[in-house]
Amino acid sequence: MDWLAENTPRIVVQLLSGLSVGVLLFLVSSGLSLIFGVSRVVNFAHGALYMVGAYLAYTIMRLAPGSGPYFWLALLGAPLGVALLGLLVEVLFLRRIYQAEHIYQLLLTIAIAFIIGDTVRTIWGAENRSVTRPDFLTATIPILGQAFPSYNLVILGLGPVVLGALWWVFYRTRWGMLVRAATWDRDMLGALGVNTPLVYSTVFVFGAWLAGLGGALVAPIQGLSPGMDASVIILAFVAVVIGGLGSFFGTLVSAVVIGEVQALAVLNPFLRQYDLVLPFALMALVLIVKPVGLFGRPE
Amino acid sequence: MQGALRKGLVGWRVPVVGVSVLAVVGWVLFLGASLVFPKLAPVFWVQFAIDLFVLTLFGLSLNLLMGYGGMVSFGHAAYYALGAYASALLVKKAGLPMPLAFVLGPFFAAGGAMVFGFFAVRLTAIYFAMLTLAFSQIVFAVVFKWTKFTGGDDGIQGVWPIKALAAPPVSDNYYYFSLGVVLVCALLLYLIVNSPFGYTLRAIRENPRRAEMAGVNVRLHQWVAFVIAGFFAGVAGSLFVFFQGSVNPDYAGVARSTDPLIVALLGGMHNYLGPAVGALLYKIIFFYVGRQFPFLWQLIVGIILLGVILLFPGGIMGAITERRWRRLPFGRRKGVPTVAPGEVETPTGSSVGGGNGGR
Amino acid sequence: MAGDKVIFACKGLSKAFGGLRAVDGVDLEVREGELRALIGPNGAGKSTFFNLVTGQLRRDRGEVYFNGHRIDGLAPYQVMRKGIARTFQITSTFRRLTALENVQVALFVHHQRHLNPLALFVPGHKSMAEQALHLLEQVGLADSAHKPAGVLSYGDQKRLELAIALASEPRLLLLDEPTAGMAPTERREAMALIARIARERGLTLLFTEHDMDVVFGYAERITVMHQGKVLVEGLPEEVRASPEVQRVYLGEHG
Ligand SMILES: Nc1ncnc2c1ncn2[C@@H]1O[C@H](COP(=O)(O)OP(=O)(O)OP(=O)(O)O)[C@@H](O)[C@H]1O
Ligand SMILES: [Mg+2]
Repeated sequence: MDWLAENTPRIVVQLLSGLSVGVLLFLVSSGLSLIFGVSRVVNFAHGALYMVGAYLAYTIMRLAPGSGPYFWLALLGAPLGVALLGLLVEVLFLRRIYQAEHIYQLLLTIAIAFIIGDTVRTIWGAENRSVTRPDFLTATIPILGQAFPSYNLVILGLGPVVLGALWWVFYRTRWGMLVRAATWDRDMLGALGVNTPLVYSTVFVFGAWLAGLGGALVAPIQGLSPGMDASVIILAFVAVVIGGLGSFFGTLVSAVVIGEVQALAVLNPFLRQYDLVLPFALMALVLIVKPVGLFGRPE
Repeated sequence: MQGALRKGLVGWRVPVVGVSVLAVVGWVLFLGASLVFPKLAPVFWVQFAIDLFVLTLFGLSLNLLMGYGGMVSFGHAAYYALGAYASALLVKKAGLPMPLAFVLGPFFAAGGAMVFGFFAVRLTAIYFAMLTLAFSQIVFAVVFKWTKFTGGDDGIQGVWPIKALAAPPVSDNYYYFSLGVVLVCALLLYLIVNSPFGYTLRAIRENPRRAEMAGVNVRLHQWVAFVIAGFFAGVAGSLFVFFQGSVNPDYAGVARSTDPLIVALLGGMHNYLGPAVGALLYKIIFFYVGRQFPFLWQLIVGIILLGVILLFPGGIMGAITERRWRRLPFGRRKGVPTVAPGEVETPTGSSVGGGNGGR
Repeated sequence: MAGDKVIFACKGLSKAFGGLRAVDGVDLEVREGELRALIGPNGAGKSTFFNLVTGQLRRDRGEVYFNGHRIDGLAPYQVMRKGIARTFQITSTFRRLTALENVQVALFVHHQRHLNPLALFVPGHKSMAEQALHLLEQVGLADSAHKPAGVLSYGDQKRLELAIALASEPRLLLLDEPTAGMAPTERREAMALIARIARERGLTLLFTEHDMDVVFGYAERITVMHQGKVLVEGLPEEVRASPEVQRVYLGEHG
């Protein structure tokens, strides 16, 4: 009890920061889940797209370090750039393997991840870089006496906004309804007389856009590192798999859970040691108990 | 006509190494060349060859799962690492002699595969891949963090083979040792994939539901395959640890798990020797290109993979030999009516002559 | 010809998909050696019924007995090992294995070679090849023994399925539309073949079929399903004369 009383502020702050990690993770993994839901392709290149988003944002922000307008410009431009790249990838490669066995799909997206990853490292170099936050978001805000970065607060605020926007897109637009229909039953699209390839492409591009947005938002927090594609893709997969592939809601829940678990693990010396593996242990546990994830449907 | 058929049966597919003349000649040449190789080649190439043997065995073991069983494991390095660590620890902590540790190591890998595989085979396709990945990450985290026992990040050093195998000139004896071990293991794996067990495994790959309906306990079968594959990955790991003289967490890393995947795809996963050919090519490309441009290595691998998947889904061996594979991954949905494995019958599927029969 | 022994029976077998009662309290008894047709319009629940019997779908309610044993709740492979075999409405074979290998695998499994450690190093392509070829001959597919199953014509794949099913020496054979997708002449041949094999081996046959010529030409008894329920059961003449059956079928046509 004493421990709890003493540590409440730390716990609260960790919970908040875990939540912001969860929001970022959700951005990335929701795109992954979306793409899988419609095309049944597990996109291992998603982490690479996210990395491109981060590096593009960095490049834009560096034009005027600390500038607010450039920050917003980066948030706008980087995801667009990634979406464009996504379009390219989809049209050139993915489109050709929707019918193939999943072995080939997996390996193809891994190949694309390799290619994009090394290209990024060639263009931007392999050093770690930090990204200057915009001036108006450099301050920390005291929460229960603990300093909490205002940037993370903005991300926390962004969470509900993004969620609302996604909800609107999927439940209020025709495109969104098509996507949901396709997720539910792939053959339905053809039966409805819809231009199926177009839906697939737009879904992939939209997923890429989300990955780019995640990357752009994360850059000022975690900086840039050449291995960020691999680390995020694995975590995003864990989130999607725990939630159940193709389930948006599941992805949301598990992204937040993973963010929180990692944040809270910091408080315990033993768990902190094993923070690397916690998400995996969680995933293994979920899969063992529920083979299709928390909210997934059997194939 | 009867006679011709029966004859076709006999000539059909070379069963054990060396039935057709060409195969005998090929194997004799290969064996002869590999026996004299260390006498002629510089040390570097001898070590290159050992490395290649290990990767070949690793790739072959994965391909039992992937090519024959249709199960894509993203965490095969877990069993490689378990074999390697078990052997190293048996020597270092338990003080066992190297030959014993070498023999026992793979059994620990098989034990790990038994535990992990029990859960993994309950899942399908991508979930299977993710769970195997998760298990390998767990192995990675344990050997990485359990510093006292496994040496953590630094791993375990000074794990050398017995004198006879380590005798100078440094790698020659170990070369012969690896060659022998890998050949024996490859032969065993070959026999396994061509046994009734292997054929049943292929049937499961093709159509698990149909296999189940033929009376196959699909999960049990897959589990056994998983354990066998884990065992041979463990042999590869043990072999490598005594070659390197050390083991570290990278043995369980993601990159180590993608190596055999790439090798099998490159060489052709529907051909028994595919992974061997793939390993050779992979190592050669690495030597001539990857070493010069280490920062572009993944890019190169990625481009090659793309090319193989889009142009030669059967890999090199597929392109060379079995023509009937060539069209399969992409073309097969067009010509022939098909049911994807596990697909649920569509109630409207009574097709051509179906409809209502009230005539 | 049918004996007196009831080899297969189910009571109150039910399965709903959401609100749809695909199979709704089906009672059925089949006597040993009988050739029984299970007919009904599209969506009547015939395939679902088969899937329940074989354990591929989990039943909501009901009991299934085979040869005196209760078999509901068993996994599909366990059901198969009790002596039931089936074919599928949409052909289901091991596409990239040759026709011969398809049958061999079924034989391996039946003779428990596939998980026998002693057989782990026996060349599989030689094992039981003679028997497999013999089965292919029986279904008229010997010429295509070395072709991959996936390239066979639809009708030939159906034959291959039959050979696979026969490999396990079943006592009850469930055939889901064995002649669907065949040309009219081919259908009669195929069904004649099936009936002959069944009689030779004393097999009990339960088959669904939309082709009424085939049904009335070969079935000894007919069960008519409609909307998940058994509507009528009886001899072919009785079924043909049944006003309910006529209504169901004609009603479908509008
Ligand atoms: N897996 C499933 N999920 C949901 N509904 C299903 C499923 N399988 C079958 N159904 C529904 O159950 C009903 C019975 O289907 P079933 O395939 O058993 O009919 P059938 O008598 O075999 O028809 P047909 O003559 O067309 O083969 C149909 O309305 C079908 O849409
Ligand atoms: Mg049906």
